[in-house]
Amino acid sequence: MDFGSFLAAPEIKVKIVTYRDIFQNKAMIEDRFGEDYKNTSAVIKMDSADLNQLSVKKGDTVIVKNSFGKIVARVEESGYETSHKGIAYMPNSPWSNMLVSDETGGSGVPKFKDIEATVTTAKGAKITDLEL
Amino acid sequence: MEGNHNICTGCGLLCDDIEVELEKEIVNKVYTACRVGVAHMKEGSREASFLVDGKPVDEPAAIEKAAEILKNAKNPLIFGLGTSTNEAQKKAIELAKKLNATLDDTSSFCLGPVVEALLQEKFKTCTLDDVRHKGDVMVFWGADPSDSHPRHLSKFSYFPRGEQKQRGWEEERTAIAIDIRKSHTAKICGNYFFQIPPGGDAEFINALIDGVSGKLPKTSYGYPPKKLLELANILKGAKFGTIFMGLGLLYSLENLDPIIRLVEVLNEKAKGEFHLIPMVGHYNMRGFNQNLFAETGYVNSVKFENGEAKHGPEYSTVEALKAKTVDAALIIGSDPLASLPRSIAKNLLDIPIISIDPCETLTSKKAKVYFGNAISGVECGGTATRMDGVEVSFNPIIETKRPSDEEILTKLTEAL
Repeated sequence: MDFGSFLAAPEIKVKIVTYRDIFQNKAMIEDRFGEDYKNTSAVIKMDSADLNQLSVKKGDTVIVKNSFGKIVARVEESGYETSHKGIAYMPNSPWSNMLVSDETGGSGVPKFKDIEATVTTAKGAKITDLEL
Repeated sequence: MEGNHNICTGCGLLCDDIEVELEKEIVNKVYTACRVGVAHMKEGSREASFLVDGKPVDEPAAIEKAAEILKNAKNPLIFGLGTSTNEAQKKAIELAKKLNATLDDTSSFCLGPVVEALLQEKFKTCTLDDVRHKGDVMVFWGADPSDSHPRHLSKFSYFPRGEQKQRGWEEERTAIAIDIRKSHTAKICGNYFFQIPPGGDAEFINALIDGVSGKLPKTSYGYPPKKLLELANILKGAKFGTIFMGLGLLYSLENLDPIIRLVEVLNEKAKGEFHLIPMVGHYNMRGFNQNLFAETGYVNSVKFENGEAKHGPEYSTVEALKAKTVDAALIIGSDPLASLPRSIAKNLLDIPIISIDPCETLTSKKAKVYFGNAISGVECGGTATRMDGVEVSFNPIIETKRPSDEEILTKLTEAL
């Protein structure tokens, strides 16, 4: 394994905003341990400029991590016309929840829609399985 | 709704016009429902399932073990209930009182504060039927019903004809989306999509208040004042306006004051009246909030002590788990190991879990005791409170050997 090239892989910081997705919700109802739910949940949508910077293309897997967790997810172009470099989107799911901070300021409300993480290529690694 | 129509308990809309076809006591076809509703209505007809330590047992053995866990706990947590009937929720409140338990639902980390303010009459609200019959301006703010409440626009808020809206969306209704991304709902709103930066909602509200009050609207992120004034004028011109408030807006605000103020100002300045409806997701989250409010004056996050309820964020599920103040968990129709941050939910693994859920979930897999219960609205009947406060009753569509959560909670209470 060429470990040097792995270390050199570009990494960018993103703010992840989560959202609801009807197809993902339906997949969860049908089988929350199924492939369809995994494939519609472990997705990160990014600005095309961010994909270029990471040297990844849509459909590739990326590592999304912070001090709370690390997942491998599939990357997609958001398709939004307005540039949103540095802001990424993920469907709300157990995968996004692996990255949510435990810091709540005593409010009882985690920052589900405001996740800071880094993204780098996963070099073909498989999407993280849903387990504990 | 009359005739052979069923209620869909797939989300807070509780659509009442669902037709189904059965084949061998299984829901084979579902008409009228959305994609999520169809999947939900077809979920039923599983075999009865009671597990202790992952091994099949009969119902009395599961009740006995669950009762033992709850008896031995000093401060059990009862959590979930957003997909339970009003009747089951009332049983859970009774059980929480008996156990001196901490009681909470998902609303403590979603739209609970908005429902609480609504029940405290801090802003004007209305029903979805009012919107269908009279609504001319609807604002989807930090909400994307096309994904979360798929028939919201087609059944109630935008597309249908209504008693006073016979010319419909083409001429008489204006749908507006305010969001940080171009959601599916924002696409429907076309030129009335107002994109703001993450965390920019409070400023946008204040600028809008300035706009409707005749002042120049300004934001630190340079939102074009002309566009803001255009929006302010649409809102001012509304005869029957409604803001549908989603999590995107709630999470962006430090407190509800700005949005409550905006509704007040709009009611002062607009041609007609303005309302706010929280976009409650689970089919009976609002029911839980109302049932607990009627009993204690609080909508969630309570701890019972000798019949009295103490309330505060420290009794929310998130803070109770973080501080490890609860020593057992009875979880009804919810999957916190999936829906809470893993960094917090992991603490559940240190205490015994009793899971009552129609589905196998991450939480049920880790439960000491699991009850596979009937799906309300499909396999058992009851009543629920729609996201706008309208009470809806429903009957089971198919028979099941599975008990309802209400029956399980009744037996658990008796066993204690």
